[in-house]
Amino acid sequence: MKHRIPWSALSAAVLLTGVAGAAPVDGRQVLTSTCAACHTPGADGKQPRISDIRKTPEGWDMTIARMQVWHGVQISAEERRALVKYLADTQGLAPSETAAFRQGLERRPNVADHPPNDNLAQMCARCHSFARVGLQRRDEGEWRKLVNTHLGQFPSIEYSLYGRDRDWFRIASTETAAELGKLFPLQTEAWTTWHAHAPIDPSGRWRIAGERPGSGRYSGVLTVQKAAAPDTYAARYEIEYADGRTLTGESQALVYTGYEWREQGRLGDDAIRSVYALSEDGNGLSGRWFVKDADERGGELHGTRIVDGRAGIVAVEPPFVRAGDTVEVTVAGFGLAGTPTLPAGVQLVGAAAGGPERLTLKLKVDAGAADGWHPLKLGAAEARLGVYHKIDRVQVEPAYAVARVGGDGGPMPVVPAQFQAIAWLDGADGKPGTDDDVRLGSVPASWRHENHGEAAKDMQDAQFAGRFAEAGLFQPGPAGLNPQRRFHTNNTGDLTVTATVQDGAQTLEGQAQLMVTVQRWNNPPIK
Amino acid sequence: MKKTHALLPAALLAALGGLAGGTDAHAATYLLTAARPNQLVLVNATERKVERTYPIPGDGIPSVVALSPDSCIAYVLTNRWESVSGIDLDTGKEVFRADMSEPGLRVKTMFAMTVSADGKELYVHQIPTRLKATEYQVEPTRIAVYDTAAGLGARPKKTFPAPRSIVQLLPARDGGRVYALGRELFAFDTHTGQLAETLPLQSWKQPNLSAPDVLAVWPQWEQSGVFATPYYAARTDLPADSPEAFRTGLLTLDLKTGAMKATDFEPTAVVIFSSVINPVKHDEAFSVYTQLSKIDLAGGRVAKRIDLEHTYYSINMSADGKEVYVGGALGDIAVYSSDTLEKLATIPLPGGVNMSTASMRVVQR
Repeated sequence: MKHRIPWSALSAAVLLTGVAGAAPVDGRQVLTSTCAACHTPGADGKQPRISDIRKTPEGWDMTIARMQVWHGVQISAEERRALVKYLADTQGLAPSETAAFRQGLERRPNVADHPPNDNLAQMCARCHSFARVGLQRRDEGEWRKLVNTHLGQFPSIEYSLYGRDRDWFRIASTETAAELGKLFPLQTEAWTTWHAHAPIDPSGRWRIAGERPGSGRYSGVLTVQKAAAPDTYAARYEIEYADGRTLTGESQALVYTGYEWREQGRLGDDAIRSVYALSEDGNGLSGRWFVKDADERGGELHGTRIVDGRAGIVAVEPPFVRAGDTVEVTVAGFGLAGTPTLPAGVQLVGAAAGGPERLTLKLKVDAGAADGWHPLKLGAAEARLGVYHKIDRVQVEPAYAVARVGGDGGPMPVVPAQFQAIAWLDGADGKPGTDDDVRLGSVPASWRHENHGEAAKDMQDAQFAGRFAEAGLFQPGPAGLNPQRRFHTNNTGDLTVTATVQDGAQTLEGQAQLMVTVQRWNNPPIK
Repeated sequence: MKKTHALLPAALLAALGGLAGGTDAHAATYLLTAARPNQLVLVNATERKVERTYPIPGDGIPSVVALSPDSCIAYVLTNRWESVSGIDLDTGKEVFRADMSEPGLRVKTMFAMTVSADGKELYVHQIPTRLKATEYQVEPTRIAVYDTAAGLGARPKKTFPAPRSIVQLLPARDGGRVYALGRELFAFDTHTGQLAETLPLQSWKQPNLSAPDVLAVWPQWEQSGVFATPYYAARTDLPADSPEAFRTGLLTLDLKTGAMKATDFEPTAVVIFSSVINPVKHDEAFSVYTQLSKIDLAGGRVAKRIDLEHTYYSINMSADGKEVYVGGALGDIAVYSSDTLEKLATIPLPGGVNMSTASMRVVQR
């Protein structure tokens, strides 16, 4: 497949490598020299196509990669990096414009994509995520040009499912282009306002917390120091998982568009990449970090800048406690002081221990304490504490997952699927699936998989498609035809995944569906 | 355009000897398919052996194979769907080449290509895109008509507009028309380029049935003169989770009479990629994917079905209708009895090279 774009070599790495030592390549100059060879500025100084588009850093990087692979543009890694930075800064998306589609940037696995309607789902999101569409801004005419690019490059669009049943090109270049021009236009007040906003400088200390599915919840401190090149930073992680394991990490970060934090470095033994958004007020951070070349594995992260004289809480561990128990609860935050204000029926036993960034509270939870989430305050800092009597049900997340065979000498590694067992309460009405249900959070579980349905049973999918390797992590089988299988079929499978949770004396189960399928051959930064 | 034996190399004389006699009832069946890296493969299906491979000049993965009516020249789509190479099956030489793209204009063909009944013209459904300095501009699709005698560097002698999404071009047996199968079945007058007739597919009105879904990638009508391809349609009067919610049928087009017929034969039970009509029994068809099915068209039912050892994409039959050949996808052609669907043989391709979506045609001399 000569024309397959090697994203991992060209794109994800290029976006970040060498940030700290970035040579003074001027992105604007690359734009007005290299790019201008074809995109020649008109009388108004605008460069055709380029000036009519806004994109995220990943979006611009994908565009430049295509220019290299499709049209032979000669550009060094440094120039490419500088160009992405310049374009993302000058023609990016405002925080409010990316908010609905951040899962596409964060490479969250097995997240349902939500196109605005069935028509756009079939016209656009049958081949790629709708996030890829929603993370661009163009006017109708420019969306129409993009439709032409699609068909010129991929004539199979008119032959594949939902392409061959309609006059795809006519619909795409008229109705769809017009609809996208209205939904995602080039000029927006959000961008005009944000573009005038000074870039956020994240230097300082951040109290962070999050959860890595399979590894558990964590909290920690992220220390950020300004580096030499503009908008570049050195970052240091110190985190502690709920089970006491600690990790440190160091990384380099680059802030695009005034708020788009991209980072590469190490966390513990893993080489990681991070995609975070700094909040518009500059004091919040949220996103996801993931393992390099295995972006299905990683952790959600949120953080708050530690500001002198302020207080905040980023995590309470455990976040939910059982009525009748006496438990130690750790509060992670900053500026923590004073006597805690606790939910009704919850009492502090003894004194709070620890310092302003970490307090341990021994809490006695009355048997009569009310189920649900309740405020927990420490001075000006506020968080919430969950109380439950018994878990009413376990839901497996994601409810529907895809894993992919790989390896075995092939170019694509296996793509595992990570599950979590989530404890829920049915709420006051005692009925599951109603508005008063309470999602408590992840709980430890044991995992098993079985055939999902008759066809899977017939093909013995469960025997071939893989196995649970560790906490909720399903590891698919090797790629390629399997002569041991009927029809020599790949190690694909349609499986039911079951989590078994022990809650006191009761045993609960939750189930999800897992499709183990074949490799995905094109894995751009925004899928 | 029949060649004399004097022009045939000795090896191929032996290979094609059985066919040269014309009407010998025991003549061997020769299959021509294509495989990676960029080659045609001639298989003596009767003797269960690969007779010869032909390298196709240049780069690419070959897919559609169309034969001249005398089976002397094989036209194959290659070079990322941008070139048609005509290979002389006797000499192995490239005698025709149409590189459809040119500077500033990318021209691709996904699947639709055929030779006229008299062998004088090659019809190719083209998807052109203008490559401008900063944008692509999709141009209207068209049928390009090539003179098969144009040799290397062939250019279309004419083009005429044709709808998008055409998946098959099929020549009327008496000349004069080429059928273009896409969202509808379009019949074009090949002399004037005018659309002569449109037979409904997407616009068909069948009680309680949705429009059919047709992706007719594989041509194999050369023996029966009847093109056949599966279609799938949804029952609009049943809930989507009903076991009867989807129907499979066979769409046939008689290239002699121009009659198109849809024969519903089962609630969708298996995937079918390609189908062939029995050359000696036109109310019988065979279909393939991971199962091989014998379809009774007169009765509108599956007469027999077996699981195959693996998935195959393409299908064809012996001239006497006794053997069914399944190929494509991977690197072997399997032989089955058309009567019992019992497996008779496997013919591995040299090196196990993948045929992928390549056509599998019967060489008829």
